[in-house]
This record gives sequence, structure tokens and C-alpha cells, in this order.
Amino acid sequence: MQVITPPKVYPVIIIGSGASGGMAAWNLTRQGIDVVLLDAGDKFDRAKYWTHVPPWETQARLARGEKPETFFLDTKEQPYLTPNDRPFALTRVWGHGGKTNVWGRVSLRLSELDLKAADRDGWEIPWPIAYKDIAPYYDQVEQLIGVNGGTDDSDVLPGSKYLQPPPAPRCGERLLQKAMGKLNIPVVAGRRANMTRPTRGFPACHYCGNCGNGCDTASFFCSADHLLPFALQTGKLELRSNAVAARILTDENGLATGVQYFDRRTGSEQQVRGKVVVLGASCVDSTRILLNSKSSRHPNGLGNGSDVIGRYLCEQIRLNARGYLPALEGTATRNDRGIGGEHIYMPRFNHRPGRGRDYLRGFGAQFWNTWSNWNGPQEGSDQIPGFGASLKRQIKRRHPAWFEIHPFGEALPYAHNRITVDPKRVDKYGVPLLHIDYRIGENERKMTEHMADTIEEIVKAAGGVLVNYKRGNLDAMGSAIHEHGTCRMGADPKRSALTAFNQMHEVKNVFVVDGSAFPTATEKNPTLTILSLSWRATDYLAQEIKRGNL
Amino acid sequence: MGTSETNLNRRRALTQLVAGSVGLVSMPLWVESLCARARAEGHTHAAQVAASAATWSPSVLTPHQDEAVIALTELIMPATETPGAKAALVNRFVDHVLSTVDAKTRDEFVRGLTWLDDRCRARVGKDIAGASAAELTTVLTPLAAEGTAPTADAPGVAFFRVIKSMTITGYYTSEIGLRQELGDDGRMMLGTFEGCTHPEHQ
Repeated sequence: MQVITPPKVYPVIIIGSGASGGMAAWNLTRQGIDVVLLDAGDKFDRAKYWTHVPPWETQARLARGEKPETFFLDTKEQPYLTPNDRPFALTRVWGHGGKTNVWGRVSLRLSELDLKAADRDGWEIPWPIAYKDIAPYYDQVEQLIGVNGGTDDSDVLPGSKYLQPPPAPRCGERLLQKAMGKLNIPVVAGRRANMTRPTRGFPACHYCGNCGNGCDTASFFCSADHLLPFALQTGKLELRSNAVAARILTDENGLATGVQYFDRRTGSEQQVRGKVVVLGASCVDSTRILLNSKSSRHPNGLGNGSDVIGRYLCEQIRLNARGYLPALEGTATRNDRGIGGEHIYMPRFNHRPGRGRDYLRGFGAQFWNTWSNWNGPQEGSDQIPGFGASLKRQIKRRHPAWFEIHPFGEALPYAHNRITVDPKRVDKYGVPLLHIDYRIGENERKMTEHMADTIEEIVKAAGGVLVNYKRGNLDAMGSAIHEHGTCRMGADPKRSALTAFNQMHEVKNVFVVDGSAFPTATEKNPTLTILSLSWRATDYLAQEIKRGNL
Repeated sequence: MGTSETNLNRRRALTQLVAGSVGLVSMPLWVESLCARARAEGHTHAAQVAASAATWSPSVLTPHQDEAVIALTELIMPATETPGAKAALVNRFVDHVLSTVDAKTRDEFVRGLTWLDDRCRARVGKDIAGASAAELTTVLTPLAAEGTAPTADAPGVAFFRVIKSMTITGYYTSEIGLRQELGDDGRMMLGTFEGCTHPEHQ
């Protein structure tokens, strides 16, 4: 195959256009730096978003042969491997904006409690940054993207200064909130990146609740709406679509010189040259690219002399408990879709006096009434006894009463939880496939017990009934879609791959700005922190370029 | 870390807290897998699309079996102030779901339906489609009471669990079920979100 090497050398090549890559592109271009951005997919077609299409209209449209936008990458196009007995449910979005097109929008700051966890308990390496290092970036990101939430700050959730008003709780959320109050379990307004006020020219959320299908009005943060167009307006961004990055190319000194990629439509091999590479392809895909970028100077993958890259994969554990509140049975059906999913959140509390357990780290939980989606009435109603008019009446009575509790817990980093690439199994471009080997341990199992106790305690206090609940059952590994840790930052180059500014210890002109940089997963949803760290890292990068160091 | 006593108490408390399938009668594997398949089809609406064609005939079931499914689904989810399963074409939903599963699961379903047809003839002298609602109710009531049904009736109990679950899924993914029966206003653009306004919940 003929390799075409264009002569232009870009100051910066960014791989990936989601939260991390999109932020890098936005922040560098506005500082006058020329960037070429490679995304493995194309722009998603807003005309094909079916967010305002109720089920009955969906049926009519499908019958006419129309199809909604599909955001998710098909494993038939890009397979990945796991051990036979340890499946991992990997979710990938290739296309402008990546997973921010359909993300859960939960935006929780890490606190000193999170960032100092490893300093306290000694499990694996600590974060090389403190809350004060990242707090100014959280402030900026929240103002930029529009996060709603309460003013209920705590040691777990600090910094509500710039939050927009949160949506009111639904009935079931009120009752659960009251029950938690009685139990002295903390509960706050959710903090999520739905704009409840018009922000930077984007209209406020209109509460259709279908955010999981993309947003018709760009009223929740999506990199393709809120970052990339502004970066393009500077004239400094060249955006290459359908560019599936395979390897970072290096010179005889081991420094990056460019990126090899494949055109997703034609399969042809391409290269782009650059002085700096910023990797933001998501934790799993950035790790794959680094491990596939082997050379004589980097035989173990790019910048992986420490052998930490690919290891310490920490994907949060989670489960979904469902039940109903008899107190709400028979109340009127309401339009409760809201901002989709939870309006209230239980911050971690197991660090509080008298609440401790025999495991490390913690968990939080989201709570919602389920009339926020259309699948509500079918899940669990078949457990109502009998049939006929009485069954129909009871399903209707119970309909407003359903709730869900959705805890997320930190999984510790373990060296054996590992992403590797398999040279014998390649994708259609000939690039070695991902292999993900992930399992949880005793710490996570003990935490699951505490999650179950907490759910049961709250539901009991609220007078609720759990349905189809199996104590201790977790969702499939990978379901949190919060992968971290496989290219972690740290002070010690022997035990980490990146500096505190996301710069590779071993390759100074490569930065990795996505979730793979996190040394710990924490129990919190990571996107707000990814945006903040990417902003911080690219501020540093811009300075280094201006100083002539890169 | 709990003592064995607190664990025991916890377990006792849990039985009062939990309703659902962990409960009474263990079912053959095909039962839950077919119910789950129906929910998946219901959520993507693929089944309802297949069902909405102007001219329709069953692809898996025979016309006789289809008539039986119409009668059963309407009995489970009848017309009241709002239309029932028959008007919501739940029989077509059931047939479509069956077209998406393996032959063994289809056979299990048809075997259960045939068992029930035979039971109906034995008890009220008519097949399912020919029986009145009252007669069908007599036949189905003991099968719906899972815990107390005789062991010999297990095929009927399992089949009833499946057809009931599929009926609920088919009905509450239809416009009739969601909009007319449950009262979804279908509004997708709200200026404000009120949330809970009940004084008693605050």
C-alpha cells in the first residue's frame, strides 16, 4: 500500500473529539494554536435524532422505513476481545463529540476526599494534584457548559458557585429524600450538565427527558455542539472525519512525529505529521493506540517503559434497583420526564463517623421516579398477581409509583485488570485488537454488600417495595462506561505514565487527556473532571509551545 | 460486618421488602428468556412495526392459535373505559416476538398454548377461542395462582406466566396502552418543570 506523507507539520495533532479531545481543540485554537483533529467518525445528523418522538410515532416512522441516528459503534465493525469467562460490556461512540452526544450528564466535582484517597489508605499511587489545582478549571468548565445543581456543598461535593438552578424533584424523589433525611443519609440535588437557563446562545432544557438519544436543541453539553463549532470559528482547526487513528509515529529519539490512521470509508492508510500529539480517544481506545505504537525505542508501547500502560483499569461497579412506593399508587399520571434520569443524588457517606465499613473508598447513588422513561410500565408490572380488569387497574395505579436507585461504586486499581493488544487478532485495517481482562475483587464485593444494605434501608424507611431485586447482583462489568486508570498520572515515573499535566513522562510531546489519566476511578461520573483536566493540560501545553519547549 | 443474627434479621426484613420473581415458583428457563425477548422487542418497537401492516397474517402461529392468543390477551388486558389488548393488536406483537426466537422456544410456547387449549376443552367443552370470558376465567384462575397450582399443571402455569408478561409488554408499548390507558400527555416541550407539587410529599 502506498503511504502518502503530506508535507505539512501541524503544531498539534489531537486524536478524538469527545469531552477530552474537543476541549483540547477548543482551548488550543482559541489561544491561536493550529490544530488538526482526527475523529474516527463523522458528524451525527441532528435531523435523524428522534428525541421528540413518542413510542407510538416511533412505530409509524419505523414502518415507513425511517431510521434514527445510531451513535454506538458496532462490534461487527470493531470487535474487541475478552477472556471467555469474563465478559466486558464496552460502549464506544465514533463520531464528532463521541460519547458526549448521549452521555448521562452527571457532573460531580472530585473533592480533596477523592484526590487524597490513596494518600490516606495507601492503595496504589496518589493523584499528583490537589483540589486547589483543579478547582479553578471546574469553575470555568461549569460556566462554559452549564451545569445545574443545588447549593448543598459538602466535603464530598464542593464548589456549587456557578451552578444553574436544579430541576425540582419528582414525587417519588421527594419521598425517598424524606426517608434519607430520617436515616441521616445525605441527599442533594443532582448535578448535571443540562442547561436549565439559556447559556452562551443555547436554549434552556425543555424537559423532554430523552437525552439518551441526543439533544435536538443542544441544551445539554455535547462537544460537537459546545466546543467544536467554536474551535472551527477560529480558523485554527482542521477537522478530519472518519480518520481511525492506529499508531503514533516516532523518530529515532523516541519522540512523536505524527499519527498513522485509516480512512474509515475507503480503508486507505494515511499519515499526518505534527510536533505534539494529544490523545483523547477515550480510555480504552487511547490505550490501544499507545500499546500499538511500538518501536525500537518503545518496545512495550509508546511511553510504556514503566509497564503501567494498559494496567490498573478501574471501571466503576453499579447496579439498578427498582421498586414502587405504595404511597404514590393511584396518584395522577404526570409528565415527569424532567432532565431524564435522576434529579436527586446521594453523595458518598461511608467516610462519616460511625458509617465506616471494612472496605476502601466509597459509593454514591442516583435516585429517580421512572415515569422519566417509557419503559417504566413494562418492567415489573407482570409481578402484580391476577389478570383482567383488576390487573389493568393496578398497573395504572402503580404507574406513578415506580422508582429506581442507581448506585455507582469505586473499583480499586489492580495491576491484573488490564487492556492489552493481541498481535494475532487484527481489525480490518490490520491493527491489533483490544483485549480487556477485568474482574472485581473482595473490596468491591464488600462495597456491594454495603450498597445493598443502604438501598434496603432507604426503601424500608420510605415504605417502598423492591421488585425483581436480587441482593448483590451487579450490572455487567463495563456498564458504568466510566473506564479509568490505564495511562495514569503520577509523581513517580516508575509507577505512572503521565505527569500532573497529562504529559507522558517518557515522551514529552505526547499528552493523554481522557479518563485513562485518572489514577483512581472514584465513585463519581468522570466527564466534568476530564473536561477540567484537559483544559488544564492544554493551558500548560500552550505555554510550553509559546516558550518554545514543544 | 454483621453478626449471624443481624444477617438473619436482614434476610427476614428483605422478604417483606421484595416482591417479584425471586419468589414463589421456579420457572423453566425459556419462560424468562421469552419474556425478556418480548421486552427488548417492545422497547425498540420493532414488533409493533411488523404488527401495524394493513394486511397481516401470523408468521409463526396458525390462524387457530392466533385466535386463541387474541382471546387470552384480551382476557388478561381487557377493554374497560379504554380499549384492551385486542384493539392494541397484542396478538401480532406476540407472533412477531415468536418469529425472533429459536425454534425450541417457539415450540415451548406452542406446546403451552396447546396444553391450555386441551385443558379448556376438558373443563368447559370449548377451545380457547370459542370459550366465553367467564369460562376462560374459570380455566385460568388456578393457573394464575402460581403457588397453589397442582404440579401436574406446571406447563399451564409456565405458559400463563409467559402470555401474561408478553401481553403487558405489548399493551404498554402501544399508543393505546401508554396514551389512552396510562394518560401520557405526549408533550415533549415544557417551558418549566414543576416536579412534585403535592403538599403531603414535601
